[in-house]
Amino acid sequence: MEEKNKAAVRSRSADGRAKERVDRVDPYGFERSQDFDYESYEEFMSEYLVVLTRRSIKWSKLLKGKGKVQKNVKLKRYVRKGIPNEHRALIWMAISGAQDKLEKNPGYYQSLVGAQHDPKLMETIRTDLNRTFPDNIHFRKTSNPCLQKALYNVLLAYGLHNPAVGYCQGMNFIAGYLLIITKDEEKSFWLMDALLGKILPVYYSPDMLGLKIDNEVLGELVKMKVPGVWQTMVDHNVMWTLVVSRWFICLYIDILPVETVLRIWDCLFYEGSKILFRVALTLIHHNKALIQEAHSLPDICQIFKQITQGPFVEECHTFIEKIFTEPGSLPMATLTKLRGSCQSRIIAEES
Amino acid sequence: TGRTSVCVSGLRSAELRCESKAVTPLQHKHRLTPTEPQCVPPVQLQGTSTPTPCESLFNIYPSHFSYALLSDPPVFPASVSHSSSCLPEQVMLVGDSGVGKTCLLVRFKDGAFLAGSFISTVGIDFRNKVLNIDGVKVKLQIWDTAGQERFRSVTHAYYRDAHALLLLYDVTNKTSFDNIQAWLSEIHEYAQQDVVLMLLGNKADATHDRVVKREDGERLAKEFGVPFMETSARSGLNVELAFTAVAKELKHRSMKDPNEKFKLQEYVSKEMKGTGCCRS
Repeated sequence: MEEKNKAAVRSRSADGRAKERVDRVDPYGFERSQDFDYESYEEFMSEYLVVLTRRSIKWSKLLKGKGKVQKNVKLKRYVRKGIPNEHRALIWMAISGAQDKLEKNPGYYQSLVGAQHDPKLMETIRTDLNRTFPDNIHFRKTSNPCLQKALYNVLLAYGLHNPAVGYCQGMNFIAGYLLIITKDEEKSFWLMDALLGKILPVYYSPDMLGLKIDNEVLGELVKMKVPGVWQTMVDHNVMWTLVVSRWFICLYIDILPVETVLRIWDCLFYEGSKILFRVALTLIHHNKALIQEAHSLPDICQIFKQITQGPFVEECHTFIEKIFTEPGSLPMATLTKLRGSCQSRIIAEES
Repeated sequence: TGRTSVCVSGLRSAELRCESKAVTPLQHKHRLTPTEPQCVPPVQLQGTSTPTPCESLFNIYPSHFSYALLSDPPVFPASVSHSSSCLPEQVMLVGDSGVGKTCLLVRFKDGAFLAGSFISTVGIDFRNKVLNIDGVKVKLQIWDTAGQERFRSVTHAYYRDAHALLLLYDVTNKTSFDNIQAWLSEIHEYAQQDVVLMLLGNKADATHDRVVKREDGERLAKEFGVPFMETSARSGLNVELAFTAVAKELKHRSMKDPNEKFKLQEYVSKEMKGTGCCRS
């Protein structure tokens, strides 16, 4: 008993010190929330730093003396284990094909920024500028350099580059993350182009058909892999779009912790949009007992919010390992087939 | 009656669930037909071993517990009639992007206004709040939606699950006011016919930037027969009232007490505060 008390006192004082040692702002410029658990963070980081250091050394060896990286089994394995932040921009550019496009289109981005713009598009983007990461010091009007201006340029350029999409809320967060990582407008623009034009289905177009399809595809996958949860959703008549739209459209930004999102994006750039399903299925599978206990629709809403928080998602290294094991196999052929059948169903429903 | 509390929301939600099994996730329309009772309330409840994720949002009724049972309240086993087990009412905030839906909600939820501290709402988010209405707990689950036009094709599917809709425009933004008619037709098409609806002209504190007069809002509201008030998430003007009025209406509806008719419009007119010093 006495030992227990001593341990409690030790842990309390450790908590006080952890708060003094850990920065109030994270490495990406985000201010830590008021309820941030400094002690668990420090505990997690003490282990994760070892991983990061080991990965950093391995990556340095891999990249040594090479101007370019080749996609192969080894690189894929490396990406899954996490790209060190100092190499992230380089690797994302290489594996997504954004670097090739940048090189083949010199001056294109600048010409887009300098072009005449649709006032309506400008206004729509402006509405969201102050509402993109107000908790990040680099997005403050007073910061230098101020990423808000860069964000405006990238979104405006993308709207002109892809007028069928223009601007859709959610793209502000994606461009924001790209700017935080690359610190470069042109690279961010071409990474946006890779994501929206190639890697993701058409989530952001005015009919948002790609989003609706993937919401339903997730439902079908849950039906196959976690039937109990699927039954709960049917019993309470909950549409998948209600609980998972944000997951897909924001690519987990503002849903999962920053470090976890970046680790997910590492894999997303390499392996494509099925990674988004792996993450969703892992969250759902891991919490299936909790979801199946739900008694109502509001209850389900609450649980789907709750399962995106806590140690399971904060410990990003083990979480990423889980997304490749917990949901089981997920062949692209299955996804393609499901996307086809869900698309027909949605179009039939809407007409 | 000996019951210590009244479940103000079980009825409507039970209605919803009656049909739930027949409806595929993609079907948006919802028919409301009370069904015969199919079973008695269960004795077994949420296990005591697992803590509830939020303060008791759990329902005590089985999923196909019906309308008919609730209109004549059955005698529950003592362990079942928890006072706090009612389903929350679902209130949805809609309106153009940037009119202040999230700020209004946070002002109501936490009593705070922090300019420039919110991110744009993408898709749908929600917060819970419990109100005390005439001594009865009314739980609200408030859904906050994305305002951008293209999201409507996604969010209108959720209208069917909303018990109340707060439709907002921004008094400093004419377009957001002009779009109210489009929002209303969207609501009429997809929401439940008896949904509680209220029109709110937000940012009423911004006297210098105002471009929509209060009278314009009143006229439009009258035309569509919708209760109306101006609000300010910044100053707090009428924020509490907007949600309380909706909660009162929902409570009265679910209790179905003919002797205690609640008139939302009258209540709002009586309680509402104007933006100036004096209201006629």
